[in-house]
Amino acid sequence: MKQFSKIFFYFICLFLLIWIAPWCYAFFSAKNDTPLLTLYSSVHKGFLNITRGDTNGSYWCDDNNVVFSREEADSLLPFFYIRQLITDNRFPDSICGRAFTPHEVNNTNFTFYSNPNLINANTVKLYPLLESQSKRVDLVMPSDVFRTTDDGIEFIDMESNSIEAEKSAKFTKVMLDKGFSFPAKQLSGNPSTRKEYDEGYLVLDSENKLFHLKQVVGRPYVRSIDIPLDIEISNVFITEFRSRRILGLLCDSQHKVYVLNSDYSISLVDIPSFDPIKESMTIYGNILDWTIIIKKDNAYEYYAINADDYSLIAEKTRPIDNNSVFGLHFTSNTDKYVYPRF
Amino acid sequence: MIYYKEWIKTRWFLLLLFLSSNGFAGYAVLRIFRVVELKGAAHLWEVGIIKDSVFIESTMQFVPLIAGILLAIVQFAPEMYHKCLKLTLHLPCSHSKMIFSMLKFGLLAVISCFFVNLLILFFGLQQVFAHELYWHIILTALPWFLAGIAAYLLTSWVVLEPSWLYRILFIAISMMLIRIYFISPYPEAYNGFLPYLTVFTFLLGSLSWISVSHFKKGKQF
Amino acid sequence: MDEEKIIECRNLTHYYGKRLIYENLSFSVPKGRILGLLGKNGAGKTTTINILSGYLQPKAGQCFMFGHDTLSMPHEMRRRIGLLIEGHVQYQFMTIKEIEKFYASFYPGQWKRDAYYELMNMLKVAPGQKISRMSCGQRSQVALGLILAQDPELLILDDFSLGLDPGYRRLFVEYLRDYAKSENKTVFLTSHIIQDMERLIDDCIIMDYGGILTQQPVDQLLNTFHRYTCRVPDGYSCPSSINGMYRPNVLRQTFEVHSFLKPDEVENELRSAGVPVNNLICENLNLEDAFIGLTGKY
Repeated sequence: MKQFSKIFFYFICLFLLIWIAPWCYAFFSAKNDTPLLTLYSSVHKGFLNITRGDTNGSYWCDDNNVVFSREEADSLLPFFYIRQLITDNRFPDSICGRAFTPHEVNNTNFTFYSNPNLINANTVKLYPLLESQSKRVDLVMPSDVFRTTDDGIEFIDMESNSIEAEKSAKFTKVMLDKGFSFPAKQLSGNPSTRKEYDEGYLVLDSENKLFHLKQVVGRPYVRSIDIPLDIEISNVFITEFRSRRILGLLCDSQHKVYVLNSDYSISLVDIPSFDPIKESMTIYGNILDWTIIIKKDNAYEYYAINADDYSLIAEKTRPIDNNSVFGLHFTSNTDKYVYPRF
Repeated sequence: MIYYKEWIKTRWFLLLLFLSSNGFAGYAVLRIFRVVELKGAAHLWEVGIIKDSVFIESTMQFVPLIAGILLAIVQFAPEMYHKCLKLTLHLPCSHSKMIFSMLKFGLLAVISCFFVNLLILFFGLQQVFAHELYWHIILTALPWFLAGIAAYLLTSWVVLEPSWLYRILFIAISMMLIRIYFISPYPEAYNGFLPYLTVFTFLLGSLSWISVSHFKKGKQF
Repeated sequence: MDEEKIIECRNLTHYYGKRLIYENLSFSVPKGRILGLLGKNGAGKTTTINILSGYLQPKAGQCFMFGHDTLSMPHEMRRRIGLLIEGHVQYQFMTIKEIEKFYASFYPGQWKRDAYYELMNMLKVAPGQKISRMSCGQRSQVALGLILAQDPELLILDDFSLGLDPGYRRLFVEYLRDYAKSENKTVFLTSHIIQDMERLIDDCIIMDYGGILTQQPVDQLLNTFHRYTCRVPDGYSCPSSINGMYRPNVLRQTFEVHSFLKPDEVENELRSAGVPVNNLICENLNLEDAFIGLTGKY
């Protein structure tokens, strides 16, 4: 007993040491290394970076360290700074030779964000399905939520905490008719009333087939989405951007990224790889181009993509100053789980 | 028969512990019922699903921790009063059996108390939520209860230690160890780690033997 | 044949940090004897008890009880040893009744319930009385009662006189002596109050800081250890140490010294140390005076 308790005590001391000591080191040697914004400018034909000045301020400059004033930056990034340009009455008649109305620009601007810790987390597997063609102007939250089981889809009335048998049967039947095999493996939706419209959920079924599920005037809308056989979808993201041009983004097992267009066709995005389980991705999109920022283990990768055909315009990487020390950690930036790891 | 002594020593505190911790659990449930009355169940479900809230955090999170610490103090501080532990260790019974029986008594007491706490939460939440939601909350709460058990065992270790120098060291180590149980704010973060953490928690009981060995050696500094 | 040694300590040496408590302390307690370890506060009495009862590991040396090394004594042996810890400490949270019930369960076949309650009845306290609400004297009776009920072969009592007023002290001493002698029990006890000890102990070890001053039967000590006094001229200051003499000092023209030597031997020693001896008076001492004679007043 004495032997065991001593060994266990020394084990605990060692364990705490390799946990706390690196943490202390990191805490006291921490420097702010989070990069400020980088965006692609179709006007400048290159990336522009916000850079920290020696004094507190920050400024825009390009990859050749040419510094731009605020006003210059507004004009170089007209889609990003559209509100400023309109306020200053400086919104141009044409951008890169094409004429846009401010409305068009506002409508096509979007940001998309995917973080592995949103995917690697234990969440409640209950989903509110909004009415996507409600007769009101605003979307409303439904009074029920659904789950998928081995046998079908179940809607549960929240107030009474009971299953709505009729509605569940109706949806289950339509889904089965469309070839859906229960249960669902992955669902992506955006159950919120603070959006322009509702597209319900993109759902991967148990056989990895992709479906679009929404509720239209109280009735199920289920659409099977054809994906080429050689593509194995691993992650789906519904987008619900204002422009309605695209329905979602898809990732496959090869870490390729596809755009799911609103006509259910898919287009490959010309970037080398993105693994949503391990890497975070931010997209700043506008009518001409998308800036895609992927945070990998050791670098930030920046891609500029043509917004029409998703072809690559420009790319660059910025290595991450990896000064992390070896040690024991319980949490991670890429998941919401607790367990010891090195 | 060592249980008889532990029972006499702690019975009033155990009653208090039982009433107050279940009072907290009951209050946590009642608060949820109250929100259902005022804002409707749908509101609560949405907050639970979309905002990932577990509702009982503010009421229950540290209740088991405090319960564990207090029970260990109530049980072992009288043993250290004028070195009463000498009397216990002088009984014709193996020392390890004696000490671990005392710990077993305390563990049984906190575990049964926590079990009732969880039952109250379970049946209360079941009235309002679907199983996905109430299990989400219960699984989020389990590490807090495990922390209560760890706090009991660690506090026993600290209280039984005769030397103040070691006691301070043990308090520091205990605080760091307790931190492990509260390291993540996310619900259900511990699911996969929970079985291992449970084993680790119960092994903490062996540490008390270090303090008792110090006591038997007559360590003072 | 050698008498059976219930306790035997060999060459005990102990330090607290760098402070030496004692070095090479050896003694033994034969069966049926009552041995008192007497010394001032801090002389190492409780240290010795702690080593004996296994709550302190000495820096060097060994202790045996019933022939077993105290550090590796089988727990069943503790059945044969009654322990009273300093201050008559008992579980404060128990009542008179509860504590009896608790201890009884650990000593099946040997527990003498009546012995305990006989003593408790003398106390005139309710059986539901909590020990924490008792006076030190009453607590001492509870602790003694528990030991008597346990009926061990060896009793170890740590400073039982601490905090007791004379009545309880006398009661304790008489009860204990009567019990030990009638049942042929062996007792090892410590005390820093020497009054009443004469009535109780057979043998004594007198300790001073750092070691033993003397170890012998009390009768022998009182027969051989005497105080010698004589008048000396005003302003005389005596030597600080004289061969074979304890604590020589002068107070108001009276020279005083203690010794195991016979009167004529004392006179010779004093003369050769240059003390102006004149009408040397030899006095018999009681145990307390002998103790002070050996250990000094300071």
